[in-house]
Amino acid sequence: MTTAVAAKAQVRTAMDPRRYLGDTWRHPVARAAVKALLTIWVTTTLTFALIRLMPGSPVELKIDELIQTSNGALSYEDAKAIASSLFAINLNAPFHEQYLSFVWNLLHFDLGNSFLSSGTSVTSIIIAVLPWTLFSVGTGLLLSFIVGIGLGLLAAYRRDSLLDRVVSTGGSLISSIPNYLIALMLILFLGVQWHLINFTSMRGAYTSGLQPGFNLTFIGDIFYHAALPITIYFLTQIGHWILSMRSATLSALEEDYVTAARARGLSDGRIRTAYVGRNAVLPLVTQLAISVGFIVGGAAIIEQLFAYQGVGLRLLAAVTQRDYPVIQGIIMLTTIAVVVANLAADLIYSKLDPRIGRAGGASG
Amino acid sequence: MTTAILARPTTGQRLLGFWLSIVDFLRLLSRRPVGLIGFFGIVFFLLLAFVAPLFVPFQNDPSLADIYQTPSRAHPLGTDFQGKDVLNQIVFGGRDILTVAILAALVSTVIAITFGAIAAIVGGKVDSTILAITDVTLTLPKLILLIAVAAILRPTSFVFLAVILGLLQWSSLLRQIRAQVLSLKERDYVEAARSLDLGIVHIVFREILPTMRSYIAIHFIFAMTEAMYAQVFIVILGLVPVSGSNWGIMLYFAQGQGALFFRDSIWYILSPILAISLVQLSLVSFASALEDIFNPRLRGSA
Amino acid sequence: MPVLSVRDLSIDYSTRRGPVHAVRNVSFELEKSETLAIIGESGSGKTTLAVGLIRLSPRGTKVTSGQILYTKNGLTTDIRTLDDDDLREYRWAEAAMVFQAALNSFNPVITIWEQFNDTARAHGMKDKHKVRDRADELLDLVHLDAKRVLHAFPHELSGGMKQRVLIALALMLEPQLVILDEPTTALDILTQRSIIDLLRQLREKLGFSMIFISHDLSIAAELADRMITMYAGRVVEEANVDDMFYRPRHPYSVGLLRAVPRVSGALGSVASIPGSPPDLMRLPVGCSYAPRCPYAIDACRAEEPPLVAVDTPKHEAACIRWKHVAEILGSNAEVPVAEKLA
Repeated sequence: MTTAVAAKAQVRTAMDPRRYLGDTWRHPVARAAVKALLTIWVTTTLTFALIRLMPGSPVELKIDELIQTSNGALSYEDAKAIASSLFAINLNAPFHEQYLSFVWNLLHFDLGNSFLSSGTSVTSIIIAVLPWTLFSVGTGLLLSFIVGIGLGLLAAYRRDSLLDRVVSTGGSLISSIPNYLIALMLILFLGVQWHLINFTSMRGAYTSGLQPGFNLTFIGDIFYHAALPITIYFLTQIGHWILSMRSATLSALEEDYVTAARARGLSDGRIRTAYVGRNAVLPLVTQLAISVGFIVGGAAIIEQLFAYQGVGLRLLAAVTQRDYPVIQGIIMLTTIAVVVANLAADLIYSKLDPRIGRAGGASG
Repeated sequence: MTTAILARPTTGQRLLGFWLSIVDFLRLLSRRPVGLIGFFGIVFFLLLAFVAPLFVPFQNDPSLADIYQTPSRAHPLGTDFQGKDVLNQIVFGGRDILTVAILAALVSTVIAITFGAIAAIVGGKVDSTILAITDVTLTLPKLILLIAVAAILRPTSFVFLAVILGLLQWSSLLRQIRAQVLSLKERDYVEAARSLDLGIVHIVFREILPTMRSYIAIHFIFAMTEAMYAQVFIVILGLVPVSGSNWGIMLYFAQGQGALFFRDSIWYILSPILAISLVQLSLVSFASALEDIFNPRLRGSA
Repeated sequence: MPVLSVRDLSIDYSTRRGPVHAVRNVSFELEKSETLAIIGESGSGKTTLAVGLIRLSPRGTKVTSGQILYTKNGLTTDIRTLDDDDLREYRWAEAAMVFQAALNSFNPVITIWEQFNDTARAHGMKDKHKVRDRADELLDLVHLDAKRVLHAFPHELSGGMKQRVLIALALMLEPQLVILDEPTTALDILTQRSIIDLLRQLREKLGFSMIFISHDLSIAAELADRMITMYAGRVVEEANVDDMFYRPRHPYSVGLLRAVPRVSGALGSVASIPGSPPDLMRLPVGCSYAPRCPYAIDACRAEEPPLVAVDTPKHEAACIRWKHVAEILGSNAEVPVAEKLA
């Protein structure tokens, strides 16, 4: 009897979680949220500093430009007022007030207006292009993740077989060649040399004139136009997933609980999915978030090469036109998108791994 | 114990040790053919970029009669949109790219080592501040930021470009350095050095860094590949004021002049693509082989 | 009819330097409801032998000879000839294994209940309610609160609790044979004691046979009926537990006995065996224990001594000098150890 009581007391101590005693900052999800906010704040400040404070900053340049184009009709003060409204910053206020109002506007998603087409808000410009980038990048990333994990698992299970060698060598080859070079080679061979793909018809996010709507023709058209960027994002990441999953699987296979599961007579399929696969995939989920940031950045050049109307292409256009409010807005919003993706990955991770921040505990 | 460990070897012993470690290293590498190929690839490209230009005359005269020529005896890799020899541009176009990559890797490695070691050794608030900054930098979409920074600051010198690239990529190395230093800190010999009150600088440079040599070397190489990726990226996009000629600028012009869609220009475009890809492949396969040799457990292959 | 009869079993590991003979010509028998302890230092091949019995050896391991004969209801099968499906059935339903590292025996990302259910389903128990009832019953048997434990994840349980859960799980399909590989090693002394008590109770209640693998003679002695000492992959002595303790005949067993801390003895009376186990790839010619043996003579280094019957019944030792050992020890040389047994 005494043993039973002792054992029950043991249950209580073991289940009495540190999380109730410990500080909230140690809680992984809370920490991820704080990190996300901090990242957004840093980017905000950095962008503000770049645009506003740098010597010969875009704001100063714009004022000069306004005065020059008006042939002296505008006084410095008037030009400054126009620039103020363009940048959505009150240029006469002290810096810290400018900064605060910049942040305040940002909280209202007010990013100012585009220089070129006055009256068009930066927010509306971004909303028009962001979905295409998220769609193509998301699809490519997800596909590469699923296929890469499958191949990595397979390669690890057939370690040292021909398949393993082909898959791992291929994976490391493709992941070390820069993705824009792969894109160039794709155009060079499939389009120009062998005429297998008609690039001109694939330009844009969808065929112009086609009525956007939720029907098969339009969805098919969207995929047709996004096919090349998706292929490149897929190829960019596939090698990484294969190699990471392969080595994670190899180390999971060495774990005692896998041996123990075999001893219990579990089927190979169950062991592969719930015991090896699930544990091997866990560390990769966090890498997924980092990949989002990387691919979204790389999207600029890919979208330019394939003339795909996403955020990257818009950013480059803004850069050549020196449309600073748009540049600033795109940086802000992509950072937020990437940060949100990171946060989501952290949350998913904490759901998948019960050892981390499990709320609720063992109910029963 | 302590005295034996802290005793400094003589210069002769050091040289001998160095030589033996090179011989040892090459023997280990010879068992990993891919790594060995990578090693020779790196040597080849370093020679091509830094030594070959000393022996080959620079040809920079446009010749409109010879544009987009296919490979011939006079132009083994054909000519470009101005009729310039492609092979000549490949020979002269590597130095800048590799210099920037090495410089950027150096900048990021120095930042990572300095602040990683400070975070681990000082600990406390300093540690958590450095870690928080690192975490934030790790999630920033760096290429987007790079586009903006390059567009606004317009870096004209290679050193400036290298510093920008270096500033963007130190975060993951810093975390690993910090973790390594933390675990090394616990080991006896560092304890011994500290008890002798030799100071932080001594502990870092004499006791900790030497044991992390291979580790840092591997990361340096990976940092080079990242810097090269980012550098060619912004060059192709035309965000860096173009001057001179390098593999990235060749691609920028090839794309800008529409040579991409000109069937006969395949060698012209393929040459810089291959040059960059091969350098990247050499670096990665060499670094992976090093990882295999020095941290075999990390890679899980026997 | 013995439940398990191992005959001339040899297991090799292949390594880069060549094969390692981890288990060499091991034979033993295990009767129904009997407990056999296998004792040896680490590297003696005892764990390789244990996992070999359910054919769970890691990559690169090869059984080079021998038979593992398992008998149930008068029917005898050689485990080595089972196909994959039959082997899966045999594992756990017939022979369950409690591992050395019980702390890592559970999948960290699924609940204890799921691991019970997985095991049940693998052996055709599809009715979740029945599985749940069985799990409740078993956890009760090992003195745990089923309600709380089943919904917990492994990391929420203490080491001792995990070991109890694993024992409960081992008994789920009422196996005839339970193999325990160092089941108490990572636990504190009080928990060790409670696990040993628990195992003794369960054995009396359920009547399964046990193979108990340990480097710790005193723990093994509490449960075992018979004992085997292994050295360099071979059985060097086999005896009833009393004979092994009072009348060991192999110098290695004597050495292991001396290494047991004595309850009544002064601190420092523990004598570890000088030297270290041999490199299994370069075994010395003759008796592999000879280099460490205080009684070794030239003849010991000439050829490997076979297991021979010694002065007490059902007692064998692989030592040509066993008579000399008997003389030196007398008949009650290890009384202090015996005290512990009483």
